[in-house]
Amino acid sequence: MTSVLEVKGLVIERSGTRIIDEASFTIEKGDFAGIVGPNGSGKSTLLKGILGIEPKKSGEVFLFGTELSKFKDWGRVGYVSQSAINFDDKFPLTVRELVGLGQVSRSNLGKRLSAEDWKKVDETMEYMGIIELGQKRIGQLSGGEKQKVFVAKALVRDPELIILDEPVAGVDIGAIEKFYRKLSELVREKGTTVLVVSHDLSVVFCQMSKILCVNRDVYSSEITPDLNETELLRKVYGDHFTFVFHKHECWSDLHE
Amino acid sequence: MIDASIFGFQFFQYALIGGTITGITCALIGIFTLLRREALIGEGIAHLSLGGIAVGLFFGIYPLYTALIFSILAMLFITWIRRKGIAHSDAAIGLIIAFGLSTALILISLADGFNVELFTYLFGSILTITKTDLILISTISLAVIIFFIKFYKELLAMTFDEETARLSGVPVEPLTLVLNIIVALTIVLSIKVVGIFLVSALLIIPATTAFQWGVSFKKTMLISAIVAAISVFSGVMFSALYEISSSGLIIFTALCLFIFSVVYTRLGDEA
Repeated sequence: MTSVLEVKGLVIERSGTRIIDEASFTIEKGDFAGIVGPNGSGKSTLLKGILGIEPKKSGEVFLFGTELSKFKDWGRVGYVSQSAINFDDKFPLTVRELVGLGQVSRSNLGKRLSAEDWKKVDETMEYMGIIELGQKRIGQLSGGEKQKVFVAKALVRDPELIILDEPVAGVDIGAIEKFYRKLSELVREKGTTVLVVSHDLSVVFCQMSKILCVNRDVYSSEITPDLNETELLRKVYGDHFTFVFHKHECWSDLHE
Repeated sequence: MIDASIFGFQFFQYALIGGTITGITCALIGIFTLLRREALIGEGIAHLSLGGIAVGLFFGIYPLYTALIFSILAMLFITWIRRKGIAHSDAAIGLIIAFGLSTALILISLADGFNVELFTYLFGSILTITKTDLILISTISLAVIIFFIKFYKELLAMTFDEETARLSGVPVEPLTLVLNIIVALTIVLSIKVVGIFLVSALLIIPATTAFQWGVSFKKTMLISAIVAAISVFSGVMFSALYEISSSGLIIFTALCLFIFSVVYTRLGDEA
């Protein structure tokens, strides 16, 4: 079976500076993968390289077995960017209108969304638990609500892979926990593959199946009970990094 | 008492119809230009049009045609300069304003005869809208409105988040080009209505007024259009009745509606 995402020797440079150095990893169907690394380590750039937003210097990216430059089936990929979630608070848009924008695609260019399309919008909002926010303006949402709304927008067209760039900045711990539970539910129930930038290392090791550590170099690893977390994390956070992690504190049943 | 017989005059009917259509088109476009943070492009294109109008008057061509050509070229120039990284938008706008005004000044001094007509473009003269103007205004406005209805969701998607819109298959570059040309066209059409000095007000005020109400995108477009229509309609009416500058009245009415919206919506928040 082909991988959902395969990256081979990906190099990304900006103004002569190497941001991503020969990254190679694969993401399989049903993976729940977390991307971690210090600030400015190239996490967002890596995601943009995967999506072709950031041009690559060399290397190859395959989405669902197709080389990136030939890949056209973007309905299979949902993406929540950092810039999207930091929108202008005054933007005159309701939650339902925003989630509806998730239905915009090449195939319905210049056409109005159908009743069927809107039904799917409502179902997705129901699934993400934001149906009652429908008529609220997006500028009035809390951080936690914003995450769910943007994920709903990315989920509307039932993508097989969903890519989230730092979806939880400035959100309280309780909301973060609920949000990641919802993502792992998505992986389990719908078989969606999730690739997410996360700052919460415990969440990654508790909930996810794969970790990508990024700091110019990219180290990927399956998350297994005998994984030496500290050794892996020191490769990107430095030798003085201490990671205190209690597996019994995990609130997920993903690895049980 | 308002004298109803004024409605019987053709110049007045042209002014009302032409003005209202242009106002509504500006109001719709204004929303997108403001959200794309390009509000001052209106100012730039309007000032550049003075050069275009002067060229038209100098060579005896219908001035709005030359202004249209000038403004479209200017819009392409701004887009190109920005894409090539030669200068930022504000500097590019400064360049085209300089070009428009200097061309106009040179031609005015060379011709020494059309100053009066040029001034009607500076301050607007809605009551002198001709049949040719009206046909041009209606055709372009209709095309603009059809474009907005047809590509409503794509325009909204790329205005909100260009990167994601592009990934979802929205043809961002062609749509941006068309949108820019439309902005240039609409600005030139509005010159007859409110004049070069106040054109950007017609883009900015109705949209900013609508933003105050905190409603959905669709309703924001509706409110913006209504504000523009009320402003133009009452501006033209009172201008004809009391012989006060129509462009002044139109923009002043729009400003009053803006202040009313700001106060009313804030009072609602505190109650």
